[in-house]
Amino acid sequence: MKTKINELATLPNRLGILNMTRLRMLVLGLVVLAALAGCARLPTPEVREDVSSATSTEDGAAANVIRIGAAVSETGKYSREGRDTRQGYGTWLEWVNNEYGGIDVAGKRYQVELVMYDDEGDPDTVARLVEHLISEDRVDFLLGPYSSSLTQSASAISEKYDKIMVEGNGASESLFERGFRNLFAVLTPAGNYTQSALKMLAEQGAKSVAIAYEDTAFPTSVAEGAQRWAETYGLEVLGVETYPRDVADVSGIMAKFKEAEPDVFVGGGHFNDAILFIRSAKELDFNPKAMVITVGPSNPKLVQEVGADAEYVIGPTQWEASMGYADEHFGTAAEYAARYEARWGEPPTYQAAESTATALALHLAIEAAGALDTDSVRTALLDMDIVTFYGPINFDDTGKNASKPMGAIQVQDGEILVVAPGHAAVSELRYPAPAWKDR
Amino acid sequence: MMARVWDRLARLGQGWGGLGLWWLLLAVLALYPYIGVTHLTLFLGSQVFVLVILASNWNLIGGMTGYVDFGHAVFFGIGAYVMGILVTKSPLLISPEWGFLQALPVSGAAAAVFALLIGLPTLRLKGPYFSIAMLGTFVAMREIVRVLRPLTGGGVGLNLPPVLNRLGDYYLMLVLMGLVVSVMWWIRRSEFGQSLIAIREDEIGAEMRGINTTLHKILAFMIAAFFTGVVGGFWAWQNTFIDPDVVFIETRTVEMVMMSMLGGLGTVWGPPLGAVVIYVLQTVVWGRLFGIHLLALGILMVLLVLFLPEGILGMSGRGGSTSLGRLLGRIRKRAEP
Repeated sequence: MKTKINELATLPNRLGILNMTRLRMLVLGLVVLAALAGCARLPTPEVREDVSSATSTEDGAAANVIRIGAAVSETGKYSREGRDTRQGYGTWLEWVNNEYGGIDVAGKRYQVELVMYDDEGDPDTVARLVEHLISEDRVDFLLGPYSSSLTQSASAISEKYDKIMVEGNGASESLFERGFRNLFAVLTPAGNYTQSALKMLAEQGAKSVAIAYEDTAFPTSVAEGAQRWAETYGLEVLGVETYPRDVADVSGIMAKFKEAEPDVFVGGGHFNDAILFIRSAKELDFNPKAMVITVGPSNPKLVQEVGADAEYVIGPTQWEASMGYADEHFGTAAEYAARYEARWGEPPTYQAAESTATALALHLAIEAAGALDTDSVRTALLDMDIVTFYGPINFDDTGKNASKPMGAIQVQDGEILVVAPGHAAVSELRYPAPAWKDR
Repeated sequence: MMARVWDRLARLGQGWGGLGLWWLLLAVLALYPYIGVTHLTLFLGSQVFVLVILASNWNLIGGMTGYVDFGHAVFFGIGAYVMGILVTKSPLLISPEWGFLQALPVSGAAAAVFALLIGLPTLRLKGPYFSIAMLGTFVAMREIVRVLRPLTGGGVGLNLPPVLNRLGDYYLMLVLMGLVVSVMWWIRRSEFGQSLIAIREDEIGAEMRGINTTLHKILAFMIAAFFTGVVGGFWAWQNTFIDPDVVFIETRTVEMVMMSMLGGLGTVWGPPLGAVVIYVLQTVVWGRLFGIHLLALGILMVLLVLFLPEGILGMSGRGGSTSLGRLLGRIRKRAEP
């Protein structure tokens, strides 16, 4: 102990503080003081605040081009969904320039230039690219990146420069609790994901519900919404459990729920979680009358993975090609799907459809505003009340599309069929699901 | 001839001349915004400064002391979360705008305290065991943050007030970078730094010669953690949003290691140089090779580590331990009859 104290006492000496000559210390101090004094006298440097769009400058106006920017993952962890997003934006872009003849702003036609960069799924990169899009590419408007967390980073920057950002791939409710004026989302917010399904199940006689969800932003919003809607429709909540991301086993939660015997099981997470829920329910002979699982059932891969056990599983969906929505631009949802498949060689996912709808909403708002400035377009977005191939779009004050009901699908005989909401449904709900041993 | 120039440069870098040139560069960078810049340039500037700070700090523990820390980003994460929690939950801050500056040193201090607590057991481990222990600490901290939901927001994360000030950020990080690199320069010259290098070369030998190795290692670790924590706090503020998955990214540590290695482990000027080179490569390659740029960058990194294990500044005259160094040495010998 004593040696340690001695060590400490001699530390400054050994760190070299006292070895430095006094003269050098003095010079150092003077230089620092002089530098500080110099700093105090200097005025604040001027940063070019000019982030006005290229269109408002002369050459832009002559070319009649509206420039729209987006940072969307092409590589990194969101590369798959990012590609759907890019192709969704691309579908709109080719249509608006080649078929529609450009955006009509107060009688004048503008071609659209879409500047897209790869954000690599990285928040630093997305920030740099959005900054680049605004201050170097001078875009007029922005479309959103893929995922809630990247939209968090990107929208703070568009808000700072007072640029409109319309997005279709960030469903987390916390995006719209920040008081941003320039962020608009066409997709149904996460809180409403289970609304259609729970309403329908309550009408069919379900009395109780148990909820399990992954502890990340999006599933949390889904589960909080599910509790709210359960209350609204008179379903008793018998249990709420969370589990961590990339969970490998959910049998503990399912065993607990088996004791509670709920009519409805709600599971929120990712694709693999859906498989886990179905498998462990079967293993433990947990027999809810309906299973509602957020991500997974609407993906044909689920039926491939778990086969007949996927029967009767219900899943919320943002959009399906079989839904009965239509507009004058892309026609019906099915016609949009055919157009998309002809162009990209694969059927559209709902991420692709909502990306096209995102761009379309911005397009229609610009036309309704008849101007390109942020304030006019914002007003037009807030006033918007339309129906598209993707569903109704009507933004509330926070920028959420609160009017669009979430669809629900059910796996019936190996097919994914829309069962809610009523006007979009193509099949009747099968309820209650038989017990595992009776299948 | 080349070798002599290189030796002179090395001596200059360690001497007062090196610090003088560094301050001259800082002064130029401080005046740079006056020639008219955009917010993008300022933002890119502050991003580079952040990387320089991170690389320099990693180098202090990984390069100078020789404890290869594969979980150093844990301090970045702690700083980010202390910032996030303070600006969203603490009633003590004066205002969102200035509260940030109040919370910044706290972010660093929290990281330094954590370094003390975790360093006491882990710095007793040698070689790869320390590296793995720190990697474990890093992963564990990500899970702890996820579980401490009332405080950290769990997987949902925290929204910070979106008060972006690119000019302020630029100067803040410029000052911090100037300070950090000056501290590294001073440590490298001081007896403290010489002791760290002695520990790296032969820890038992250093202990025999009367160096309190535990004290030195812990101090170096805490200094490195402090500045990394400050930068983490700054990052949280600048990104306006944190959750466990954007804060605790493995690649952040990998970047620190790469930048230090590329520039030259254990040197003062290597890590800053490495940080700048990697940032430029990342942004330039990003612009030219859209789509396959990550692959190109990865291959480049492998090549650099294979042929330049001692980094750019390790290429100095006697650098006979690297294949490229040997090659250059042979060429030089031929050129000098």
